[in-house]
Amino acid sequence: MAEKKKPAPKIAATKRKAPVRKTKPQVIAPDPVSPIGDAAMPRAASGNAGITLSERLPGSFVQVQAWPDTVAKTQAAIDKHAGEGVTTMPVGPGRWQIESDAPGLEEALRKALKPEVAAVTGLTHARVVITASGPKVDWVLASGIALDFAMMDEGAVALTSHHGIPITLHRLPDQGEARTYDLYVTSSYARDFWDWLIRAGEEVGLAVA
Amino acid sequence: MSNHRLTLRDHVGTLIDTSHVTINFTFDGKTYQGRKGDTLASALLANGVKLMARSFKYHRPRGVFTAGSEEPSALVTLRSGGRREPNVRSTEIEIYEGLEAISQNRFPSLAFDAMAVNQLPGKAFAAGFYYKTFMGPKAPGHAATKFWEFCEGFIRRAAGLGKAPLEADPDDYARMHAFCDVLVVGSGAAGLAAARRAASAGARVILCDERATAGGSLTGIADLLGGEPGHVWASDALAELAAMDNVTILTRTTVQSMFDDGTYLAIERVADHKLRPAPGEPRQRAWQIVAKSAVIATGALERPMVFAGNDRPGVMLADAARRYAVEFGVMPGRAVTVFTNNDTGWLAARDMARAGVIVNGIIDVREDVSDAIRAAGEETRAAIHLHSAVTGTHGWNALTGVNIGSFDERTGEVGPSNRRLPCDCLAVSGGWSPAFHLTSQQGGKPLWDAELQAFLPGEPSEHSNTHWHGAGAMAGQFGLRAAFRSGEEAAVKALADAGLGEGETNRPDIEGDEPDHAPAPVFEIRSGGKAFVDLQHDVTADDVRLAEREGFRSVEHLKRYTTLGMATDQGKTSNITGLAIMAQTRDMAIPDVGTTRFRPPYTPTAIGAVAGEAYGHLVPVRRTPMQDWHEAKGARCFPNGPWMRPESYNAQGESVEQAYIREAKAVRSSVGIVDVSTLGKIDIQGPDATEFINRIYSNAFAKLPVGKARYGLMLREDGILFDDGTTWRLDDHRYLMTTTTAGAGLVMEHLEYHRDVVWPDLNVAITSVTDEWAGVAVAGPKSRDLLAVCVEDCDVSDAGLPFMGVRDGIISGIPVKVARLSFSGEMAFEVYCGFTHGQAIWDALLEAGEPFSVTPYGLEALGTLRIEKGHVAGPELDGRTTPADLGLAGMVSDKKNFVGKVLGQRPAFAESDRLQLVAIQSLDGQRIRGGSHLVKGGRDEPGRSEGHTTSTCFSPELNRYVSLALLEGGQARHGERLYAANPIRGTHVAVEVTSPHMVDPDGGRMRG
Repeated sequence: MAEKKKPAPKIAATKRKAPVRKTKPQVIAPDPVSPIGDAAMPRAASGNAGITLSERLPGSFVQVQAWPDTVAKTQAAIDKHAGEGVTTMPVGPGRWQIESDAPGLEEALRKALKPEVAAVTGLTHARVVITASGPKVDWVLASGIALDFAMMDEGAVALTSHHGIPITLHRLPDQGEARTYDLYVTSSYARDFWDWLIRAGEEVGLAVA
Repeated sequence: MSNHRLTLRDHVGTLIDTSHVTINFTFDGKTYQGRKGDTLASALLANGVKLMARSFKYHRPRGVFTAGSEEPSALVTLRSGGRREPNVRSTEIEIYEGLEAISQNRFPSLAFDAMAVNQLPGKAFAAGFYYKTFMGPKAPGHAATKFWEFCEGFIRRAAGLGKAPLEADPDDYARMHAFCDVLVVGSGAAGLAAARRAASAGARVILCDERATAGGSLTGIADLLGGEPGHVWASDALAELAAMDNVTILTRTTVQSMFDDGTYLAIERVADHKLRPAPGEPRQRAWQIVAKSAVIATGALERPMVFAGNDRPGVMLADAARRYAVEFGVMPGRAVTVFTNNDTGWLAARDMARAGVIVNGIIDVREDVSDAIRAAGEETRAAIHLHSAVTGTHGWNALTGVNIGSFDERTGEVGPSNRRLPCDCLAVSGGWSPAFHLTSQQGGKPLWDAELQAFLPGEPSEHSNTHWHGAGAMAGQFGLRAAFRSGEEAAVKALADAGLGEGETNRPDIEGDEPDHAPAPVFEIRSGGKAFVDLQHDVTADDVRLAEREGFRSVEHLKRYTTLGMATDQGKTSNITGLAIMAQTRDMAIPDVGTTRFRPPYTPTAIGAVAGEAYGHLVPVRRTPMQDWHEAKGARCFPNGPWMRPESYNAQGESVEQAYIREAKAVRSSVGIVDVSTLGKIDIQGPDATEFINRIYSNAFAKLPVGKARYGLMLREDGILFDDGTTWRLDDHRYLMTTTTAGAGLVMEHLEYHRDVVWPDLNVAITSVTDEWAGVAVAGPKSRDLLAVCVEDCDVSDAGLPFMGVRDGIISGIPVKVARLSFSGEMAFEVYCGFTHGQAIWDALLEAGEPFSVTPYGLEALGTLRIEKGHVAGPELDGRTTPADLGLAGMVSDKKNFVGKVLGQRPAFAESDRLQLVAIQSLDGQRIRGGSHLVKGGRDEPGRSEGHTTSTCFSPELNRYVSLALLEGGQARHGERLYAANPIRGTHVAVEVTSPHMVDPDGGRMRG
């Protein structure tokens, strides 16, 4: 069937052109809409910001699952796609979550990894990334997440949850003196999680970049 | 109002701010002044206020009894409105400008309480009064005896503590998660020594203290540490610790509970000492601390002695009286008499005298004391009465004097009370009980120490994996030198638990007393009159003996019969004394009678602090990308699983029923759209994906072609229906499984369990993609026409997209998947797109549907359509039904193996009288209520229930109320007439049993 030959879910990005159409003039896909919505409008803290938040939608976000005997092969394929703007996070035995600033990573990896080697699952729409930084970021996050943040090294990844909301947490290089994390939160919970961050951050002063 | 404030100077008022700023507060509406650093209790005492409360049962006047969290008597209600908090210990709350406190359990006023008549009948209200008076066989038609039901209201009004507010609490409560190597509980000498030692080894240390000022007893001792007063040394030591990166000091923080795995719960009172929390600040913060090891240095609680009239306002513990004088600079009384059975009472007298308090008598039950203690007594210039005891007290709302008689500590015999000593404060010390509440929570068995006349914490339970080490008075190591030594020793052990080195010793030189804390084994002076053991619950020594006589001899029975040790203080000042009196009555040794054990929490804990941010909506809410649109359109939303979903889009003045009927009609006549983004979606991939799915579903999936979807049934291991949904084959080795909204999480667990545990050899990846896809169902005879307008790159004709077909397409430049599925029974499609494009697709479908008057519909209409069609959903998959019960036997393969097959073949599942799916239709126009039972008889004699309704609605198609139902042997009873009875709602509706497929039974519409 025709279905088989087509790449499955496509990533729609601002500049991406739609495939050949039959009846209508070319239509540009609209920008993706953040599930957090207007709540993520920039704002300043009333005093010094103990925590600063910003959000982004990933260009691509893909989960790769290797089989027990194909881990090394899969790792090698993933390594080929590493580079500027690509974050690879190991999240389990033979399992990675990979974010790329550019669209198209799912198709590229699916091409590189046949089903016999690994499963490639597109999650680009399923995650919102919240970057949290500031002198009090550990304090705010620890008020909802049972992780020993002091023991997280730069680059460390944790699969955790806040109040039942699944979160993948990635420690980035410090911004200046301030600890910084990327929080990958599932899209349908993003608004609720963001609202919690705003409430929890009030105590130490919160800004949205 | 009299001024009981002492002249503040170096060693007097060590906790009081020296800035001379006064703080105004009210108690029972009257304004008083206090000083920064005062507790409510110390500030009231400074104003000469002795009467602070009325007792629980007898409404006897009560004053402050302790200076800490163990306070049984001086409980007040704090603040007003939504911030009102009953039963707050006045000894713990720090005063602030504008504090409002009122006394409890009195009418009309604290000084004149009409209910005080309760104490006059004397022994009538003794232990067991309620059981004896009101218990008995239930009166017919009543829950208890008629006499109890008559009296209950009066009794509940007469007895009790404060009243909880009914308004919502406006404040926030926060949580915090913390991790450390060594948790130190208590910041007295032992705790400070432990924290310093552990910190010096580089350990991550958390030091908690329940008081506002850390330092424990060091804040008021007479000894010199390193040549400095205790409070100065402690303050410097704490500052040094606070400056270390590896140390966190939490004051106003009570470690309430010790759990397994080194987990502790501590409650920090962040803003209880303020008029209201600062913006963004929580009132309290619940700390969940995980520690590799802990040093428990929680000190000891002083015990009272039991004698007649020992509850008058003005009678308090000796160390409390000393602390009011030394730490708060407040006279506990204008003339203080001390009554003790140990040395610490004498030292309290000396310290009070040094602070400027008049001590007019020291009464000790012992025959003699050491020279050093005698010298301390002489320094007070008080009259010394050895071999004596207080045999009674005078006064009503305040103490005015005590009777003194000779006392033989060996026989317990009391001589004639031939002396009366005027005083307005009696400071009592009956020895010390180590505060091992936390370690007891982990199951360690306390050990009796005959020398100290106290239980010690004993060894950790072998069943506990929480590492702790006791130090200081908590471990029976009384005295400063022992506290410092044992604190460091405990820290070294804790460091070893955490895999760290020993650190460095750092103890100050100590100049001062080394008192003997061992008391004479005297707990009670028997001289007649009400002598209270438990001040909070008005339990007397006679009550304990009465319990013994009536056979309630075990400590557990004693507690429940007399209520000794219950309520907010959990017997902190009464448990040991009660046990001792029981032991004496039974002529047994104390440890043979029983022991004291404790449960969390250490002190009363606000529910708000435990709930943290989990209030309002108790669980996080998932939102579809169209949720904002639904809300903007005024849709009423209600929870469905973790999601909020629109019930219906009510037009102006339209009821929910009118709205869903309109929406359902629109779907049947033209086209409607509904947000189905909430359906669970699971990506299943791998070389063994087909095999896996084929084993999970009861119907065949092995030959599903790529580009097609199939409806599947999932069974539990026991053959009962578990969930249903469609699964789409996207590629040879890739599927998209959909589940019910509420079942998504459980299905995911079910799949992961079978992959990981049952069939680990299958190479299958299972990933939730619920949040990757937004979904819109387009249903109705015009649905194909609508899609033809807006979908590109996809032929939606019957040939291009047959029933159950799945195709890729484009709408407004957005890639979509279009599947031809129907839940409503009409021709219908589901359109899936990336989650962040959900609203754009919704808008595009609305725009394309304008010529067809497309109607958005909610869950009520969705439900109505599927009920009419006889499609099952959650209410029918109720955890008891099998596929055959629901008429889906044809979907159970007899060829392949699948989860639930074997147990699904149990003979009982094939019996003909099982509850089976039918529809019922109202015959008389009456509404069929949810929860109705199907009966044969009329309203008067309905007979037994033969089934029940599961999903009810008004059917616009049939123009009558209908319901799906489960009926015994229902599949063979179509055409039968029954009643749908709902006695609770008073309905009894004549109905006819029909096939559940009420609309388009041959499926022509959806296949057309």
